[in-house]
Amino acid sequence: MYYGEFKAPKGIIKVSLKLDGDSISEIRISGDFFMYPEEALDELEGRLVGVSADRESLLEALEKFYSETKVETPMIEPKHFVEAIMRSLRG
Amino acid sequence: MKSWRLLPLRVDEPFYSMAIDEAILRLKAGGKSPNTLRFWRWQPSTVSLGYFQSVDREVDLEVAKKRGVAVVRRITGGGAVFHDQDGELTYSVVCGQNDVPRDIEKSFEAICEGLIRGFKRLGLDACFSPLNDISVGGKKISGSAQTRKWRCVLQHGTILIDPDIRLMFELLRVSPEKITDKFISSAYERVTSIKRELGEKPSFEEVKEAMRLGFEESFGVSFEEGELSSEEISLAKELIEKYASYEWLMKR
Repeated sequence: MYYGEFKAPKGIIKVSLKLDGDSISEIRISGDFFMYPEEALDELEGRLVGVSADRESLLEALEKFYSETKVETPMIEPKHFVEAIMRSLRG
Repeated sequence: MKSWRLLPLRVDEPFYSMAIDEAILRLKAGGKSPNTLRFWRWQPSTVSLGYFQSVDREVDLEVAKKRGVAVVRRITGGGAVFHDQDGELTYSVVCGQNDVPRDIEKSFEAICEGLIRGFKRLGLDACFSPLNDISVGGKKISGSAQTRKWRCVLQHGTILIDPDIRLMFELLRVSPEKITDKFISSAYERVTSIKRELGEKPSFEEVKEAMRLGFEESFGVSFEEGELSSEEISLAKELIEKYASYEWLMKR
């Protein structure tokens, strides 16, 4: 289990995850941010399973999630979630 | 002038308080509840967690148990808040999506403006600190959280009157060795309270009245004192079970 945190402009994003090879097999995101609608975070976690844990693939998945779900996260952007995930891998 | 309902100041146990907020939001969405402003206190003192927070990572449950402090997860995002039963007043606003700006930050600011005017009435030079805080002299005195569901908005938040800051930082997870005098004094640099700024502690009713007048000015509405409807009470009682459940607390 990997764990890491990233302090974004609004809030701290906390990530714990497991890898299967190079891909994410389990991920849990928590923190004191806002996401509208709230249920979208479950969907994001679902979408990240199976994604290769490199910056480029993660950013692509995050940007697709934002554009397809119309989710809003004030003061938090796709790259901030990517950064939190990358930090968890660094331990 | 539009009229909103103002509920009397309540003191309830935490799961019921959370359930009342959700019941008003749901019934507002169903066209059965009016736009509402209310103020309330927590009995016992409680840590409320943001919807997305991990309870294990944010709260020291041992300390909470030892000190008789309840822990509850909110339906709103944002951070963990310590609601001191003797030193904190909580507000909540339920209204239609169209009653506040569409932009999230602007909507936080619009609702916080009522509180800012209330703080000014109490003699404090408060200002909005994006995204969701109000500060005095650079220190946080109020923080808010919001959710939007079914074209309606619930925003609730804390008004720090005279909380036990040391207990606050013992409850909210920071490694124990950090809770030294040095750490506490740095917490004092970031958080303030009405008592600390004014040198005296106003009554809960005084704070409520100042805030009500602040909201009246900023919203341009009049408040009519009302009570919870029987439908709101019965829905809130049904919702208690969710907030009191282990599953809800441990959701993340």
